[in-house]
Amino acid sequence: MADSQKTEFDHAKGEKLPHFRSLSGIEYQRIYSREDWDNVLPDAGEYPFVRGIHSDMYRGRLWTRRQQSGFGSPEESNELLKFLLKVGQTGINIDSDIGTKLGLDPDDPLAQGDVGLQGTSMCTYEDMVVLFKDIPLDRISSTLIFPPPSSPVLMGQYLLMAKEQGIPWGNLIGTIMNCSFTQLVGPTFQANTAFFPIDLAIKIGLDLIEYLLPRVPKWNILNVNSRNIRECGVSAVQEAAFVLALGTDYVDRLCKRGVNVDSFARRIGFFSAAHLDLFEEVAKFRAMRRIWARTLKERFGAKDEKSMWFRVAVQTSALTLTAQEPLNNIVRATVQTLAAILGGVQSVHTTSYDEAYCLPTEATQKLAIRTQQILAYETGVTKSADPLGGSYLVEKLTDELDERIWELMKLIEKRGGFIECFKEGWVEQELNQARYKLAKQIEISELPIVGMNLFRSDETGAEIDIFKQKPDMQAKRIEYVMKYKKNRNQEPVRHALKNLYGRVRKEPHRDLVIPILEAVEARATLQEICDVMREASEFSIPQ
Amino acid sequence: MPRKRRIIMAKMGLDSHDNALRIVSKWLADSGYEVIYAGVYNSVERVLRITIEESADALGLSFLGGGHLHYIPKLIGLLREKGLGKVKVFVGGVIPPDDVKTMKELGVDAVFTPGTKRDEIISTIDHILQNSTVRLKIE
Repeated sequence: MADSQKTEFDHAKGEKLPHFRSLSGIEYQRIYSREDWDNVLPDAGEYPFVRGIHSDMYRGRLWTRRQQSGFGSPEESNELLKFLLKVGQTGINIDSDIGTKLGLDPDDPLAQGDVGLQGTSMCTYEDMVVLFKDIPLDRISSTLIFPPPSSPVLMGQYLLMAKEQGIPWGNLIGTIMNCSFTQLVGPTFQANTAFFPIDLAIKIGLDLIEYLLPRVPKWNILNVNSRNIRECGVSAVQEAAFVLALGTDYVDRLCKRGVNVDSFARRIGFFSAAHLDLFEEVAKFRAMRRIWARTLKERFGAKDEKSMWFRVAVQTSALTLTAQEPLNNIVRATVQTLAAILGGVQSVHTTSYDEAYCLPTEATQKLAIRTQQILAYETGVTKSADPLGGSYLVEKLTDELDERIWELMKLIEKRGGFIECFKEGWVEQELNQARYKLAKQIEISELPIVGMNLFRSDETGAEIDIFKQKPDMQAKRIEYVMKYKKNRNQEPVRHALKNLYGRVRKEPHRDLVIPILEAVEARATLQEICDVMREASEFSIPQ
Repeated sequence: MPRKRRIIMAKMGLDSHDNALRIVSKWLADSGYEVIYAGVYNSVERVLRITIEESADALGLSFLGGGHLHYIPKLIGLLREKGLGKVKVFVGGVIPPDDVKTMKELGVDAVFTPGTKRDEIISTIDHILQNSTVRLKIE
């Protein structure tokens, strides 16, 4: 086997690594010196923000500990959120199940088997109220992982909930993800186009942004997710180039709608992976900050420095986690969390070690938060801004990544931008090539994974607790929504849905958010609202 | 020269994590199988329809989020009901240890969990399908 050949230990020779390339294929030099990098750096908090977006970074405030969570019913997820806050999570990151993301209710035939599995099941206004029970909307920031077509519907439910609780929209803090390409499994074609017309999805996402800008001034309007891109197996260079190109497309489309760039750019955020190549990851975050700042300033003419900030949340990569000897994953996640912190990011989700088996249990989620707390409070890595800045290696790598990412962004631009590349299948091709390449690298141990293709032992490893859903959870959710639809006041629902249908059908260029919110207020469910838009576009979903 | 063994590769339900589905499909094609790539978002009925239309020898089904507990019993039940009990069923992905047992009890021929090597997947499938050939000939 390839692994035993490579690792057979001969004391006379010592051990040698198979190669010295980074995960993205950049050759690490023997040593770095002034000849490789001899430049002056801007201060942290100074354009182009390579050293961080704030001058005092974590001295001013620590990153937010924001574990993505959500499973089963809204009741169960509400309990989980409260547990996470109790053990020291500082922000909420609520994930919905896939049906919710796609605009399907639990009783849809194709949705039934996935209800509540990978996030919480949401479809009615009352679900939203239950999910946020006892959580102060104006003091805890919440990231809502809802893409179009569900984003305007669920954001509408959230806003209605705030109104009914008497909380002014001006005090709401949080983020709606709202990206039509990256919230399922990276920008894979079938996943993102099968359940809703992609152009209409983009449109209602942009409509929502325009709706939120003046009305909910502290709310973040868009978060573009490169973590899901990276998890398809692409390199750090591709991850950064794809997401920055997509971000550029969004900014471009909003500018073309006549919205002033300085009124919205500061309210766009990103969500990235932190992989295992520590220095390359740190350099990646630094390069991404510089490129985004440059793009906003030079291409879009932003004047406000906050518009140029690349603000990024991170979830450590799950692609690197193994089912073999799962406790090893704790070490991997720790290094990845460290990479994110040394890279100067704004919030972190440390992935739990059991995710090659199941959703994380409460115990493993607590450990993930503890990992961050130990790094934050015990290690001292937070006490200076950009602690690796000025390292010949990190600066040289930052420049090299900047160059490679920029080259790839120019190529995407030449092909019409990221959205066009997605539609014509180029992105899909790139993802698939990357997947095959990664599989090959793992197979021949060019990418060493301890306990999996290197030092693999035959015993299955530690016994771990497995998260289990309640056996009747899905049936209860299905029953709930069926009863809900039967027992409400039907007339307002019919009226609002008819109105929305007419708008999509006859006036497709006008805003769709207001008629969607009217349907929410009338107590239409998520799928009812999405179905009306599908029908009006003569779009049918897989059977 | 016997005809190539035909295997349908699919995900059922709404989970669209398809890294492994893509990779294992390529491995199978490279190893001489005829792969019908049915992609993601399949219903049980659709998988069944393709199985019949393509006279498939085997199904390769990938799961990540727990959907196997919902879909596999239904699928196997329907395969038997339609007289397709001889079609081999392979399941791959994030399947907790207890569920691996459950899958096999239900009649799944092999389960491949994360980290299973290419050679092991291919040789297991080769072995099971070879045996099924022999059985078909005897009949």
